[in-house]
Amino acid sequence: MILLLESAAAASGGQTAVVTPEGSSSYGELLEDAHRVAAALRHRGITRFALVEPDVGWVIRILAGAALVGSEPCQYQADSAVADLEEAASALGHTTVVTRRDDLGAAFEVVRPDELTKDAPGRVPPVSGTQPLVIRTTGTTGLPKAARHDWQTLARTVAAVRHTPDQRWLLAYGPHQFAGIQMLLHVVASQATLVAPFPRQPRDGLDALLTDRVTCVSATPTYWRFLLAEARGRKVELPSLRQVTLGGEASSADLLNDLRAAFPDARVSQVYASTEFGSMTSVTDGLPGIGVEALFSETNPTSNLRFQDGQLWVRGGAGMLGYVGDAEVGPAGVDTDEWRPTGDLAEIVDGRLLFRGRDSEVINVGGVKVHPLPVENRIVALPSVALARVFGRANKLTGAIVAAEVVPEGGVDHADVDAIRLEIKSAVADLPRAWQPRSVAFVETLATRGDKTVRRMET
Amino acid sequence: MGTDQSTALAVISQFLERANKAQDGLTDDTGLWGDGLGLDSLEAAELSAMLEDEFGSDPFTSEVEMPERVGDILAFYEAIHRE
Repeated sequence: MILLLESAAAASGGQTAVVTPEGSSSYGELLEDAHRVAAALRHRGITRFALVEPDVGWVIRILAGAALVGSEPCQYQADSAVADLEEAASALGHTTVVTRRDDLGAAFEVVRPDELTKDAPGRVPPVSGTQPLVIRTTGTTGLPKAARHDWQTLARTVAAVRHTPDQRWLLAYGPHQFAGIQMLLHVVASQATLVAPFPRQPRDGLDALLTDRVTCVSATPTYWRFLLAEARGRKVELPSLRQVTLGGEASSADLLNDLRAAFPDARVSQVYASTEFGSMTSVTDGLPGIGVEALFSETNPTSNLRFQDGQLWVRGGAGMLGYVGDAEVGPAGVDTDEWRPTGDLAEIVDGRLLFRGRDSEVINVGGVKVHPLPVENRIVALPSVALARVFGRANKLTGAIVAAEVVPEGGVDHADVDAIRLEIKSAVADLPRAWQPRSVAFVETLATRGDKTVRRMET
Repeated sequence: MGTDQSTALAVISQFLERANKAQDGLTDDTGLWGDGLGLDSLEAAELSAMLEDEFGSDPFTSEVEMPERVGDILAFYEAIHRE
């Protein structure tokens, strides 16, 4: 992080690095503040700390400063409830919190971000060892964990990124998420500009698209669906984009079509990544899923992706050092050559590996295992439906039934919900009976999957 | 017939319409299973969810005996109403 920031500042210190609701900062300014932060962390003897900060300009200053002196930061969602923060931070043994919030003083030693930048930049000797970064995950491997990464390893994933200073990327992920960190690295490595609104709801992203001259966006399929729905609802004309990236969960053919129609000039890519294993692959052929030719096989022995036992397995990538609390697995990190299951269920259909959801979200309907994703995709594909979510609803007769929440195009009040109900029924008629939704509720909005509830592939 | 019972009957009719099931001459004595409406477990689960959405509870998943006839469902809500 710090090396990339130094390169960017050296190349063009005046270039705008980040645009947030609190203002813009250049690469030169960020680097100078990073040195201030480094000196302050060293001076105060802070070797690891929790960071609870919504503004991405501050996040970059603090993460880069910590990297300079090898102090280990771990971000928490900026608007987490106090009790949640206390519980999570206590599990990871964090006692020092860098935050501007004033409701955390009871449980932590609180350091305000601006306390770390108020002194003149002291040039501290950079550390030669690990530049640690902890990323919390609900993750690929089940239980909530915190993956310990090294910036230097993560930076390798963007080593080949070209300099594109005229690109303006929207940050649609939280900077505490792996995908958010990847986005920061990508933008700094390409010496581009990051547009980082807060809050980070799709409607805020749409505002940024309309006013902040964004040219490239990477977001989850859910985020894209909401953003397109918001744009249709407001009847605004979407600006032209150069790059549209989807990641974090499986995308569907109808969403890819909608995105191509909305952004005809954009290159549309889908990325697959996990917090533990880093970015694994990128697909730009505009079709859902991953072509089987990209998977590990006798003819493609170097691939890091493999289909086995109904799910995707991975190896290699910019692997983490290990989980916090586990014994260190050595400087090389986890055994990256070992194949590991991702928990992302998949199926091969017509030469494509298609994602079917997380193994933990399978709905058990009277012993029949139902994957919500194909059901959801059929409903969302209906022109009368703007958004839909399919989930398991507890039922004593069958254990669970498949339930759907549906946002009609144009809103509930203007929709013929009985007609949509019939359309849904015929759209799922080819699925086994247990898969067909038994409960369909029409709602104005879906409860957005907040940062804490990413349902599918963790990014 | 009480309000809750009429509402319950309306929910049952709506369910039957959605499920494309014959509903001519629906009476208290119409059986839910087998020769009656012939509900299977998925259909019963659907009906129970619809009733739960309407009333907050339903006779299929409560501690009472599994209903056999349409009238048992209506009686369930009548009993709740009296409580």
